[in-house]
Amino acid sequence: MDEKTMIKVKNLKRYYDSGIVVKALNGVSFEIKKGEFIAIIGASGSGKTTLLRILGLIDKPTKGEYTINNLNVVDLPEEARGYYRLTQLGYVFQDYALLNEMSASENVHILSIMEGKSKKESLITAKDALEKVGLGDKLDRVPNQLSGGEKQRVAIARAIAKKPKILFADEPCANLDTGTSEQVLEVLKELNQKHGQTIVMVTHEPWHVKYASRVIELKDGLIVSDKKRSIKDNPS
Amino acid sequence: MFNDIKVGILSAKSSIKRGNKKTLAFIIFVLALIFMNLVFLPSMIGGVSGMFTDFMQYPYGDIVIEPMGDNPYINNADSVLQKVRAVPDVSAATKRLDAGVSIQYKQKVVGSTITGLLPSEEYDVSNYHNIIVDGEFLGDLARDEIIIGAMLVEGYFGSETYDNLGGVRVGSLVDVTYSNGVVRTYKVKGIMEGTWEGTDLNALIHYKEIQDVFGLDGSEATSVVMRVKNPQDAAKVKGKIISVGVNEPVFTNAEKSDAILRQAMQSIDMINVVSKYVSLIIGAALILIIIYINVLNRKREIGILKAVGISPSSIVISYAFISMFYVVMGILAGLVLYFISMFYFKANPVMFYENIKLVPEIQVGLIINSIFTMLIMSVIAGIIPAWRVSKESILEAIWGR
Repeated sequence: MDEKTMIKVKNLKRYYDSGIVVKALNGVSFEIKKGEFIAIIGASGSGKTTLLRILGLIDKPTKGEYTINNLNVVDLPEEARGYYRLTQLGYVFQDYALLNEMSASENVHILSIMEGKSKKESLITAKDALEKVGLGDKLDRVPNQLSGGEKQRVAIARAIAKKPKILFADEPCANLDTGTSEQVLEVLKELNQKHGQTIVMVTHEPWHVKYASRVIELKDGLIVSDKKRSIKDNPS
Repeated sequence: MFNDIKVGILSAKSSIKRGNKKTLAFIIFVLALIFMNLVFLPSMIGGVSGMFTDFMQYPYGDIVIEPMGDNPYINNADSVLQKVRAVPDVSAATKRLDAGVSIQYKQKVVGSTITGLLPSEEYDVSNYHNIIVDGEFLGDLARDEIIIGAMLVEGYFGSETYDNLGGVRVGSLVDVTYSNGVVRTYKVKGIMEGTWEGTDLNALIHYKEIQDVFGLDGSEATSVVMRVKNPQDAAKVKGKIISVGVNEPVFTNAEKSDAILRQAMQSIDMINVVSKYVSLIIGAALILIIIYINVLNRKREIGILKAVGISPSSIVISYAFISMFYVVMGILAGLVLYFISMFYFKANPVMFYENIKLVPEIQVGLIINSIFTMLIMSVIAGIIPAWRVSKESILEAIWGR
């Protein structure tokens, strides 16, 4: 494995059995290198969200191998998976998944406190992350005082505050209008290009792929294409 | 673990601070009622016990000394009194002489017990002077006067159940025949009503009258009765009285109550115990249901906390804190309700028949017990559902699958 390879997935399968067996992922293999911005695309039901949840250690595969920096994360006990999510991975949910009774700052700094940082240090970390996504003036707002785009930016701030090795984003613009979507995607692009953040993003909007450096397309639980992109591929 | 606690507190604090205030108020209100349920009925039942204990005050004070063995009298009553009065915890003591008599008014005759007492000393020892419902209590010089119990007087509470003296009233003359055949006539100075047969079927007279009738020398008594400074310490004071050299049998009021009203008290205590346990089980179940529903409503939040890497123990600690907060607030609100109701019922006692007053008893031990029980239940009620939800998969907790 290349020394820059962070994620290695081999023959990953995820079946759901609720009377009828649904093969959400049916043998997926790929590698992700440090600093890549990957867009996973595909029609609804193609398995992209399932794949991202497995990559983000939120779900477990039925079969297959998954390593991050050579560590087999599939077989980690639940507690270790939680700790790994806390310290190494960032996850942005489609529906923001913010804690409604916490302010923007609290939503972000609770993770730093969990990591063992002091309250003062955690507040500074949270402020920096929220400033990075353009919400430095809305630290004390609770989610219902924020717009959809702002909520998603808080979710991104929460995910990046701990400087994760990999940032996963599950349709981060699904509930946003075009203008707000562009703002959110610009934030992700900046994180990738300026800070070298590895990002894996699931999207169903074709125009979102212009922000990515590589596009993986899924269909019926299988990869149907895996292409690198460059800026010049972007439509004018 | 320290980080878990810090995160648990932060999460609990924001939930309480920014959670739905109406829901919070409702939960606290229900918990206050649960607390009331734990303490109110036992306090009322405690009042019934207290009522019996009060009845015992009339004949026995807080502590009573009785003749040894088959002796009809304590022969050295003055010496016993001297010893008893030297005990610092005893606030007052007096001697009494009881005798079996028959009392006659016109054609009506009833058997009764007459107690000879020293009126001025009784003021500090018993409540007899407080239960005179007609006329006055005896004076120190009143040798030809008598106080009769209300149940011996037609028209008073309970008189219909027993043989009575008909229309005898304050100022009427009654003839008292003692067991040695001596008959004396007394003027009724007052009627006493303690709403208990132990007082209301008896009569009171001056100590010296009985002394004269039986030719005693004045140092005899059928009982030495005393009041102690702190009635709760009666058992300890009893020990001190024995230790100063009183050889006659010494009984506390409670011991006498137990002996006489054991069966009644046992039944009441049984009701009390059953009521306490039923309240406790209902209270525990309700706390568990309230907190469980609360946790289930926050299942998605728990899933999110887990998904972002918050440890399950932080989540459990958070809900234990939230649950404890609800219960502490419920207890405080419950205490306010409890004391308001206690003061109300003390000022306006529940009446039985027409004149038996049931005054609730504030039981500090019961309150402390109930507070601890509710706090323990709150921790269990917070931990169990949060622990169960925190063990669910993130997909199940957030998206229900």
